Amino acid sequence: MGHGHYIAPAKGQYQVAAGQVLELQFVVLPGESRDIEVTVDLCGPGAEAHLKGLYLCKADEKVNFRVVMHHKASGCHSTQLFNGIAGGSAEVNFDGTIVVAPDAQKTEAFQENHNIVLTETAKVNTKPQLEIYADDVKCSHGATVGQLNEDELFYMRSRGIPEAEARTLQMLSFLAPVIPEGREEEIERAVRSL
Amino acid sequence: MLLEIHNLHATVGDKEILKGIDLTIDKGEIHAVMGPNGAGKSTLGAVLTGRPGYEVTEGTILYNGKDLLAMAPEERAWAGLFLSFQYPIEIPGVTITAFMKAAVNAKRKANGLEEMKTSDFLRLMKEKMAFVQMKPEFAKREVNVGFSGGEKKRNEIFQMALLDPTLSILDETDSGLDVDALKIVADGVNALRSPEKSAIIVTHYHKLLEYVQPDYVHVLKAGRIVTTGGRELIDAIESKGFDQF
Repeated sequence: MGHGHYIAPAKGQYQVAAGQVLELQFVVLPGESRDIEVTVDLCGPGAEAHLKGLYLCKADEKVNFRVVMHHKASGCHSTQLFNGIAGGSAEVNFDGTIVVAPDAQKTEAFQENHNIVLTETAKVNTKPQLEIYADDVKCSHGATVGQLNEDELFYMRSRGIPEAEARTLQMLSFLAPVIPEGREEEIERAVRSL
Repeated sequence: MLLEIHNLHATVGDKEILKGIDLTIDKGEIHAVMGPNGAGKSTLGAVLTGRPGYEVTEGTILYNGKDLLAMAPEERAWAGLFLSFQYPIEIPGVTITAFMKAAVNAKRKANGLEEMKTSDFLRLMKEKMAFVQMKPEFAKREVNVGFSGGEKKRNEIFQMALLDPTLSILDETDSGLDVDALKIVADGVNALRSPEKSAIIVTHYHKLLEYVQPDYVHVLKAGRIVTTGGRELIDAIESKGFDQF
């Protein structure tokens, strides 16, 4: 597996050998419901996996993520960042598990999932889980579900930025860390459609 | 008249903060609004700019003869209103350049002008940043993120200079500033002085008013303007406080 982000298919199992680096990017745009299931096994010492995900959903779309990051060898490193926005009466379920095997000492594993809900009818359930069986590890996970920030929106509007534009700016800045290179305009169009 | 406030009552939550404000501002005038903490000074600025959470329960505000309260916050900005926030908001992920370019062009569009060319905008921005002595690298910084108190206030004055408002409201812009920063703020306000432009300077502190000479001074207490006068009021407040009113 080479460098550079690879837009991953919805279902995948990946084995990463010693010293190898896996980079995966997930993009779910409005207009489809998706079930994404991915399992990554870090099999050899020093293997790395970096996952990024962006999802935008509206209407009655359902987007489910199930991600298992399995640290099986020592000194492996994984990062995960999934940011998404749910509008309409869309439903997002994010289920992310990090497993650190007893032999996987010196593991570093991080996972974050951040969500913005735009409406009262949109739903986000996020369930990050850690199963750690080794003792010398650095692991963390974080999940947030929030709304657009009213103070920021007012500040922008008070400077003359129209409300819709202020919302778009805020959503794009929220998504910025997970927008794949070269797809900025496409993502911006999708955000405006929410 | 630029601004006519008549019998303005406003609530925040269930609490009435403004209890019948009357205030008239003509073009070219600078008005200072002074008063103790909790008098309603910031609420006045919030109501004028249409901040959510502040409800007007009675009274009217005319701006250039138009019903200001019927306008959205962005429409008020397009019409030339500007509030320098007492507590400027941080906008993570949005640079000052992106923020102000969107603001300047939205105002131009609303006033029937074409968008500014990026090169022209950057030149103008550089000029205004130099004017408020903001370092050029701030152009790429996220709006107010990690700024010191003084840097945030300077950023407000920079935005004011760039947007060139008709009516500027400075809400405690002087609080927490050292003398050098205070002079920059004062220069910013004085630079905007013209027969067409007006300002409301909200403060409980006389220092800024040494550098920006107001035409009128109002004392706001418990939601009402209890007295109006000229500069002599500043000295009276300085020596005897607000209890005398």
